[in-house]
Amino acid sequence: MTMAIDLKGGAAPATLNERLLKRHDRRERTALSLLTAPGALLILVVLILPIGWLFWLSFFDASGEPTLANYARMLRPVYVKTFISTFQVAGLVTAACVLLGYPVAYLLSQLSERTAGILMIFVILPFWTSVLVRTYAWLVILQRTGLINTWLTGAGIIEEPMPLVHNLLGTVIGMVHVMLPFLILPLYASMRAIDPVLMRAAANCGATPAQAFRQVFLPLSLPGLAAGIGLVFVLCLGFFVTPALLGGGRVAMWAMQIADNIAVYGNWGAASALGVVLLAVTALILVVLRRIFKVDTFGGAR
Amino acid sequence: MKRRSHIKTGMLAATAMAVAISTAHGADTLTIAGLGGKLQDDLTATLFAPAAEKAGVELRGQSHDGLAGVRVQVQSGSPGWDVAHLGAEDCAIGAGEGLFEPIDYQVVDADGIAESARGENWVGTNTYSVVLAWRTDKYGDNPPKDWKDFWDVEAFPGRRALSVYPQEMMEIALLGDGVAREDVYPLDTERSLAALEKIKPHIGVWWSSGAQSAQLIKDGEVDMEAIWGSRVAGVIADGAPVAFTYQDGVIGFGCVAVLKGSKNVEAAQKLIANIVSPEIQARIPTMMSYYGPANRKAFEVKEFPADVIAQSNASPENAGRQIVMQPNWWAEHNQDVREDYKNLMIE
Amino acid sequence: MRSKVAIQKISKAYGAFIALDDVSLDINPGEFLTLLGPSGSGKTTLLNVLAGFVRPDSGSVTVDGTEFLTLPPHRRNLGMVFQNYALFPHMSVRSNVGYPLRLRGVPKAELDRRAGEALDLVQMGHLADRGVHELSGGQRQRVALARAIVFEPSMLLMDEPLSALDKKLREHMQLELKRLHQRLGTTTVYVTHDQREALTLSDRIALINGGKVVQLGTPDEIYDRPRNKFVADFIGETRFLPVEPGASGPLLYGRALKTRDGAAGRNEKSWLVVRPERLRWRGGDDDGSNRIDAEATDVIYQGDSYLITVRLPDGAEIDLRRSPDMAGGRLPDRGEGIRLWLAPEHTILVTDHA
Repeated sequence: MTMAIDLKGGAAPATLNERLLKRHDRRERTALSLLTAPGALLILVVLILPIGWLFWLSFFDASGEPTLANYARMLRPVYVKTFISTFQVAGLVTAACVLLGYPVAYLLSQLSERTAGILMIFVILPFWTSVLVRTYAWLVILQRTGLINTWLTGAGIIEEPMPLVHNLLGTVIGMVHVMLPFLILPLYASMRAIDPVLMRAAANCGATPAQAFRQVFLPLSLPGLAAGIGLVFVLCLGFFVTPALLGGGRVAMWAMQIADNIAVYGNWGAASALGVVLLAVTALILVVLRRIFKVDTFGGAR
Repeated sequence: MKRRSHIKTGMLAATAMAVAISTAHGADTLTIAGLGGKLQDDLTATLFAPAAEKAGVELRGQSHDGLAGVRVQVQSGSPGWDVAHLGAEDCAIGAGEGLFEPIDYQVVDADGIAESARGENWVGTNTYSVVLAWRTDKYGDNPPKDWKDFWDVEAFPGRRALSVYPQEMMEIALLGDGVAREDVYPLDTERSLAALEKIKPHIGVWWSSGAQSAQLIKDGEVDMEAIWGSRVAGVIADGAPVAFTYQDGVIGFGCVAVLKGSKNVEAAQKLIANIVSPEIQARIPTMMSYYGPANRKAFEVKEFPADVIAQSNASPENAGRQIVMQPNWWAEHNQDVREDYKNLMIE
Repeated sequence: MRSKVAIQKISKAYGAFIALDDVSLDINPGEFLTLLGPSGSGKTTLLNVLAGFVRPDSGSVTVDGTEFLTLPPHRRNLGMVFQNYALFPHMSVRSNVGYPLRLRGVPKAELDRRAGEALDLVQMGHLADRGVHELSGGQRQRVALARAIVFEPSMLLMDEPLSALDKKLREHMQLELKRLHQRLGTTTVYVTHDQREALTLSDRIALINGGKVVQLGTPDEIYDRPRNKFVADFIGETRFLPVEPGASGPLLYGRALKTRDGAAGRNEKSWLVVRPERLRWRGGDDDGSNRIDAEATDVIYQGDSYLITVRLPDGAEIDLRRSPDMAGGRLPDRGEGIRLWLAPEHTILVTDHA
């Protein structure tokens, strides 16, 4: 009762223990946020700091003098061409993955979980073999003396072997093979999450199967598709081995340029500048992608 | 010198070798790092191990993936390797970056080593050649004789391959364009690139590894190409219808250098002195066919059988038909030329 | 709007499991018919046959004389309310309701007007621009209903539409559904496993079990004239006491039973249907016929009434209610033996099989 005496008038009941409870509340929140500390620390150490360092380095030349030369150098034709071809390859691969992967994911999502699980093994199988092995396997299939050309020339369907590899086409084929699971998996997950009753509801409303797909299923699968596209596109930007082996030297990727700068020229500043530009453009593309697909308005966002 | 396969097996073999050596002696321990693979195994057996024995040092083998690895070692302040074996242009570049201790030419007798095959901070240990190879089933009795024929797509139709790395290719392009062997250096990069631009439509593949270059000619994916002599020798040994010529070949060097900050500089100098000594260099023609000694006095040490002389890229007869690559030129022009070359290559 | 539906000899088997076994059923124009049955009885399968989501093995469904089974679902012009509403999560409330109209090429202005009217009908007009995620269960139910009626379908199908709602809301929605049906007069087929819901809503109930229609009738027919023990058991809170056939009539524990029609259970073993609201505290004939000796096991005050748990002679317990005004006389004590009566008009005998 002593507390009631200290307090003034009608406000007393409202402020009883107010500060104490607020403090408890704050303490609880602090404790909770501490739980994220190890993760935050890890991100700081392995992500934020190195990227910051990269950014810092990019403004110095090989002898340690501040310079913008690392960025100016990127205007040389080889960098411009490489930059364009990197995004061109990533775009082509992503588009091919969408065209090939969407029907597969759709098929899988319509099967029983059991059957889908079995078929999914074939989707994931490429994950279990090394990129190098997969890439060489494509060489065996696609080269002029490879399976396809030998068979087609042998059957008299074509006279001259087709240039299927050691060019952009071969690179895209090999990369699509590597990337397809990255598109299918998130897409499949989001398709599974679509209640099949919605398709019945659409049919019931009078939608033909095609209309139901376009107006109900497709929009609901977009968040998964966007996730897959983002994943594939960004991973493609960093590709290295496949373009080097299947591109026949004609397909240059930004990542190869970065590696050259470090391994061959020993120029960390220049390599960092390349990394910074790639990072910035990638971030920009992801933001644009988000806008296009309006990812926020779907799914469990609300 | 850009072989990266079999690094692990190379390391294992090199380590085993080092263990065998270390049990025999009890002196300074030196660590030598090479590009790994069969090349390093061969170099260890032919040069490094006997040189270490003569120098009275113990030897440990490691492998690296090129100049980048060496850089990291030196930048760490206390390198784990004492000596690195590299391609000569990398030695020259590394020397320019200050990665190496100077070679003590009081200790290392470089009398028989060409000027272009050594520098203040590095010295050549062996030679290799980039040669013209072709499919015999394609060209039969009338094969291409030199790079001028390689550039003559009328007389010698067919798909060609060059390396994605400009070293040696720029030289080849000038030879193909009609430049005399003695006029190749200093490279006229504009003329070379223009020549490459001419042949570009006929290049089926720009290869990026020795294994790939061997596979291309072996499978008949291309009809003629520039390839390392040792690689094409393997293809011919496998029975593929392939032949090659040393005519207009480009002789390049392998080299050694002492890493800056090494604790065993003196012992390293002794080791290097033995590696390049005519006696040990004379082991190369017989033990590493299609490679050659960096020290021309090696051929004066003893009589070699005729077939060995015919095979060795550095035998006086073969060497006379080739040009010698100049690592120092490459060290100066590497990045610009490489980027221009790449710009030409990519679509 | 008020279609006549004839379901003839529909059968559907999933492997060895027979979901529908030769079902025939006529649905009258404007009728509210409920398919009532336990889970797995086949009621939802039958609804899905009507909607076109399940293709039966044999049989025929005609709506106003045209064969329906060969029509794909989207051409059947049926409104359907699904168990979990099945609203399109990427569309607003208005777009959901307008969707059937959009598919029918209704111009934008008319579409908005009609969707608004349908939403007003279910008192959701003020939430038309909300996202589906922002709605409560009851609100989603109303939107689903609006979507099903907005295009004036020939028939309305409802698949346990209220089962996800809490009891109070469910009872409220039942009344709204009934009112809506009275207003629109659309032929409605309603699936539920809740017998009280069926009794509340329906013009007629088809009680389904094991893929067959066990009994078809109005709610009071189903309640008061169950065809067999299964029906009596499924409808109402029912207990059964064994009845033996006797020379002059059925006997309950040796005492005579006077029944409504006087016929049932005369020649075979049958069951007396005991429902709490039919039991009387006093009355009966002096000869002791229709008397049930029981024991009060619990007496609980519940404000509006007393709940008296009574143990029947066979050991089954049944809950009776008595108003607190004591019109029925003194309350029994716990453990006290009591005598209950069933009036002959409420004395129903059923057999195991119809």
